Amino acid sequence: MSKRIVIDPITRIEGHLRIECETDGGKVTKAWSSGQMWRGIENIVKGRDAREVWLFTQRICGV
Amino acid sequence: MKNKDFKVLSQHLGGVSRRDFLKYCSIVAAGMGLPLGAGAQIAEAVVNPKRPPVIWLSAQECTGCTESLLRATHPTLEHLILDLISLDYHETLSTPSGHQAEEARAASIKANKGKFILVVDGAIPVKDNGIYCMIAGRTALDILKDTAKDAAAIIAIGSCSSWGGVPSADPNPTGATPVHKVLADAGIKTPVINIPGCPPNPYNFLSTVLYYVTFKKLPELDKLARPMFAYGRLIHENCERRPHFDAGRFATEFGDENHRKGYCLYKLGCKGPETHANCPSILFGDTGAGTWPVGTGHPCFGCTEKGIGFHKPLFSRASLHMVTPPDTYPHTQEQQGKGATIAGVVVAAAAAGAAFAAVNKVAGKLGEDEKGKK
Repeated sequence: MSKRIVIDPITRIEGHLRIECETDGGKVTKAWSSGQMWRGIENIVKGRDAREVWLFTQRICGV
Repeated sequence: MKNKDFKVLSQHLGGVSRRDFLKYCSIVAAGMGLPLGAGAQIAEAVVNPKRPPVIWLSAQECTGCTESLLRATHPTLEHLILDLISLDYHETLSTPSGHQAEEARAASIKANKGKFILVVDGAIPVKDNGIYCMIAGRTALDILKDTAKDAAAIIAIGSCSSWGGVPSADPNPTGATPVHKVLADAGIKTPVINIPGCPPNPYNFLSTVLYYVTFKKLPELDKLARPMFAYGRLIHENCERRPHFDAGRFATEFGDENHRKGYCLYKLGCKGPETHANCPSILFGDTGAGTWPVGTGHPCFGCTEKGIGFHKPLFSRASLHMVTPPDTYPHTQEQQGKGATIAGVVVAAAAAGAAFAAVNKVAGKLGEDEKGKK
């Protein structure tokens, strides 16, 4: 019998991660991983002065 | 603090002596401009088993705020935060994941209703009902509103939760909103303290927490809800390159001769003249002199100031709020009874000149009038 397990939030990482998996007879048969937060930094840097783009992209992750 | 009280605590401090601990508490007190005895009071409050727990919520963040806090190297500060301040929920630092972590948060909120300190890092996306940040299937917007109403006080750590920060930069794709605005719009009146910075200085955060824990009230805040002890002055006022500014010595290009000489970075877009923070005084990373952006040769970009960092172009010039070229300083003590000074004579001559010109003008006008009449 398949069982669905959701682990959200995944802790001790940077950002907001969600893992879902389907198990069958104690074995994982399918799994999904998804980032649960979006800031749209790609859209923020579009059309910007190239010299200041680092200021934003550098802050995608602070770890 | 008695020795036996400290023994309870020392197991969490990884071999820090009682003397060092008290010294640290005194440094915190001095940093906030508190009187000497306050250090002992802070130490007492920290060992008090009834100190309030901290719940830390993360929204649109990069974990930089948490990282800067964990890198604080004064006597094992991570222990101060993790063990002494009893951090009951923090996504990056919790051992349990998923529903176990969520249960710990719910249990702490229930048990400490109205008493806990809520720390928020990251902006809150409000566009499309807040779907751009989800934790355990709920939006960050929903979780914040739910948690904030039961908190004693809220600390918005970092520029994102204070002003919107990186995600709120034009065109603000997700409707990233600062914590105080989300709460004001929802009619939640829990006080919010802003500790902006990208990342903020960990000592400003720790001092604020310790002040609250010790005195059960918020420190003095400025009009943007930042603690005065940390954000009371402009970076420009305490900058080590200020003498170059006053003398008109500027770097005009990265790597030019003046930049190499350590001249003022104002012309490269330094926002120090319009940014309030104590960066030049307390520096970063506990690694000695010059360890802050301007010290390393890069202009301040104004992360602690609303509407400057991430909003004003990086290399555009700052507005000057305090122009004080040294030649125009008044004397602190005027010389008395020495007769006319050169400056006095100049002023008198200028006044006489002005009067003369005015008389001439009037005379001229009279002349014109007379001409007109004719």
